[in-house]
Amino acid sequence: MTFSFGLGLRSQHYHDFLEKPQPVDWLEVISDNYMVDGGKPLAMLDRIRADYPMVMHGVSMSIGSLKGVDPEYLRKLKRLEQRIQPMWISDHLCWTGVHGRNLHDLLPLPFSEEALQVVTRNVEQVQDFLQRPLVLENVSSYVEFKESEMTEWDFLAEITKRTGCKLLLDINNIYVSAFNHGFSATEFIRGIPKQSVMQFHLAGHQNNGDHIIDTHDHPVCQDVWGLYREALGHFGFIPTMIERDDNIPELSELLDELNYARDIADQVLSQQVAV
Amino acid sequence: MNLAALQDSFQELLLDSECKGAEWAEQSKHGISSARRIGIYHNAYRVRLADVLYDTFEHTASYIGDEWFERLAYQFVQANTSEHSNIGLYGKRFPQYLADALEHDQEVAELAQMDWTLRRAFDGPDAPVMTREKLESLAAEGIALDKFSPVPTLKLCHHAFNTLDIWHAINQDQVPPAVVRLDQPIPFLTWRKGHSPHFRTLSMIEYSALNHLCRGSELESMGAALSEEFPDADVVNEFGILIARWLDDELLADDRV
Repeated sequence: MTFSFGLGLRSQHYHDFLEKPQPVDWLEVISDNYMVDGGKPLAMLDRIRADYPMVMHGVSMSIGSLKGVDPEYLRKLKRLEQRIQPMWISDHLCWTGVHGRNLHDLLPLPFSEEALQVVTRNVEQVQDFLQRPLVLENVSSYVEFKESEMTEWDFLAEITKRTGCKLLLDINNIYVSAFNHGFSATEFIRGIPKQSVMQFHLAGHQNNGDHIIDTHDHPVCQDVWGLYREALGHFGFIPTMIERDDNIPELSELLDELNYARDIADQVLSQQVAV
Repeated sequence: MNLAALQDSFQELLLDSECKGAEWAEQSKHGISSARRIGIYHNAYRVRLADVLYDTFEHTASYIGDEWFERLAYQFVQANTSEHSNIGLYGKRFPQYLADALEHDQEVAELAQMDWTLRRAFDGPDAPVMTREKLESLAAEGIALDKFSPVPTLKLCHHAFNTLDIWHAINQDQVPPAVVRLDQPIPFLTWRKGHSPHFRTLSMIEYSALNHLCRGSELESMGAALSEEFPDADVVNEFGILIARWLDDELLADDRV
């Protein structure tokens, strides 16, 4: 899909999507919220899916887990996949806990050969099970590891090379991690293989002066819009969506923000055509 | 340090009540110290799980107030890790935790259990519902059912206090009544009708009938058992009234689908 713009489906906006057609090309659903037995979440999902293409985005796969991805989690994910027939399925390049515990956070991995081997094995497990490429998102991070042997972008590029998986580049996460760790966001973007990127995320964050927390509770800031321009210039158009998880505003506010993304894409891509 | 040791250490740091530094963390030349960086994860873990407890136990939080609830929620988070990929299931042990922690305020644990049960009914399993029309259609075909099945979200419970009144008052933004221990525990049921969780109190005969229903009893043996348990009741008449109400309330599943 090209030149398409989506939004994250949140329960606060169910009514808006059921009431009348909304100007979004597709919706991203948090897979984990719908990996339930029944009730309103799945009923709403089915009704809204009838009118909008969807992509699935998870938070609990724990692709960096040494034990491999939980087969029961994958079975539930597959049931949901069969239910809504998503265009693609994504999760995060992270781990969420060990020894049967779940910390419910997107914890970063060291960028080491050992971690590469673990992630490669797990991505292959998932792709074999789902029979489709997995899409992995770069996370915002606050710590770096002495064990890291390469940059985050080299790590991501190598995973795509070894597994054929795709990437969901979260432009905000690149900005947050670049700020927190002092690397170049431009270098990150230029280090990612162009053909591997399937989707962009845009989101807001909380800037505390000497560090940034990835909160998804603010509008996208101008610096991130700037990085989005840069990413479009480098990759060409990539399906883009706005992600808001807290302080969720009226749908109209998010649609305005999405239109802003459309305007930027039009500007950047028309310049490219002109050149 | 290999990946296993690093993840063990990272998890241990986050679960420890005190936030400490880690030898595996790179001392950044940029921005904040590595200890503060680990502190971001340490804090986020607690905030996230406490937020889930607030969300799940909304009436309980309203009843005891934010400050007290927050203190109990953070104590619970420190003492209980999550084993579920679905974060919504985290609070399963919270009602028992409250029962143990608030020995002299047992209605709080009852309220929390009610919040939990209703939340589970919200996204519990779906089932086709038996209706009057379906029953009439079966009767027209000469098919007589020998038993009914409950919808999967149906749960039978008891309260020792006037917790249902407290729940109602909180739900309507009214001042909850003073807590009262009941002369005898009151039975009630929770279930999902349409998309909404429901609850209501039960007479002793309905409670007993639903107990038989949940155990899979056939109608004939259920009637015999009720006649024995309630010798003064007109069981045939009562049973007819109950079935009609259960159909209206969407308590019966249509197993034939």
